Amino acid sequence: MSGDDLNPAAVPQPVEDRQGDGRWMSQHTRFMQECKDGEPEVLFVGDSMVQLMKQYEIWKEMFSPLHALNFGLAGDTTCNVLWRLQNGELENIRPKVVVLWVGTNNHDHTAEQVAGGIVAIAQLLTNRLPKAKIVVLGLLPRGEQPNPLREKNAAVNRLLRSWLPRLGQTLFLDVSNEFIHSDGTISSQDMFDYLHLTPAGYNTLAKPLSDLLLQILEETPEERRASLV
Amino acid sequence: MSAEASNPAATPTPCEDSQGDGRWMSQHVRFVSECKEREPDVVFVGDSLVQLMHQFGIWRQLFSPLHCLNFGIGGDATQHVLWRLSNGELDNISPKVVVLWVGTNNHGHTAEQIAGGIMEIVQLIHNKLPNAHTLVLGVLPRGRVPNPLRERNAEVNKLVQDALSSLSHASFFNVDPGFVLSDGSISHQDMYDYLHLTAHGYQAVCEPLHAQIKSLLEKPAEN
Repeated sequence: MSGDDLNPAAVPQPVEDRQGDGRWMSQHTRFMQECKDGEPEVLFVGDSMVQLMKQYEIWKEMFSPLHALNFGLAGDTTCNVLWRLQNGELENIRPKVVVLWVGTNNHDHTAEQVAGGIVAIAQLLTNRLPKAKIVVLGLLPRGEQPNPLREKNAAVNRLLRSWLPRLGQTLFLDVSNEFIHSDGTISSQDMFDYLHLTPAGYNTLAKPLSDLLLQILEETPEERRASLV
Repeated sequence: MSAEASNPAATPTPCEDSQGDGRWMSQHVRFVSECKEREPDVVFVGDSLVQLMHQFGIWRQLFSPLHCLNFGIGGDATQHVLWRLSNGELDNISPKVVVLWVGTNNHGHTAEQIAGGIMEIVQLIHNKLPNAHTLVLGVLPRGRVPNPLRERNAEVNKLVQDALSSLSHASFFNVDPGFVLSDGSISHQDMYDYLHLTAHGYQAVCEPLHAQIKSLLEKPAEN
């Protein structure tokens, strides 16, 4: 496995406010506040693929009922997610499951580095939440036609498949194959810009993910709580 | 208005494929095909605020029945929209209304340049579709608290509203229902990342917009 101190994708880094409206920090601050207010059983963390999920009906139907928090932030790389988790977004919460979906925005990094970054985040999560299961989602293919980013994301997924089992407590869910048609294209019905999912696209992912989460939540014994829910 | 050569916001510019998957061009090509296949009465054109509208239930509820096409691309600034409309996205169609919503992504440009870019698009649409009315939507405030981009966007709206007031083929429409609260903040219930609208935010924008478009469609054709 790649050494973390040599892997730029495993170096925590906040996002600079280049545009001038401080939105990244505002969202991070809000997530920290949500850690104080909520007692989530499931925590979703990652980039826009996670963030957008919360805007569609599917979130209310399938994931809110599981007492889920959504800490997705559009544009985030593994470095940014690592920084957020080390700087407040895991305070005061004890979710039973963390769903991690990040890596497609790591444009400056190789597949090995990206996979190493994802593993570093999974490692952090298991250290901070020893009783939690970590569900890592595979990077989806992108672009209408075959292209180098599809190959890169597929390579990341292959590496994750072989590296994650060493961590224990970690599961890998990859629905990539569902999105590529026999002619190699991705449909705008699934990804409106050949990257971000439509509601129909999310349905493809949500069913297996929801089944997996329910299975994990049913297996995990209820912890005694001091206060009544 | 300002000479196009000296205004980068008013110079047609395609988006470079910096990531490597050609998504911007794929979307543009798809829109050009839609122009050959469909006969829309209304075309929406702009950035992610247009594009995401298409993903929410409100689109099917309010706009599909009006025979609308959605040519929004996330990240687009005025110069990108100008390029797309100059390169096929207004061909083979004769919509009665074009809804234009762009400007918030013009980072590094001044309010005057952005307004100039918007007016350049309005002129292009009029040249290509002399019978269409262009409805220019005001650029929304952004950021959780007051910041320079809010001031820039407000200035753009002021300049554009002034410039449009003398035209009969285009008009300004303010779709901000009051997203900025009394304490100066914008709520994440309206804009989940203080820029992009939630379903709730789109509801507040789309209902008045729908009414405005319907009234334009019901008017006799412009000269």
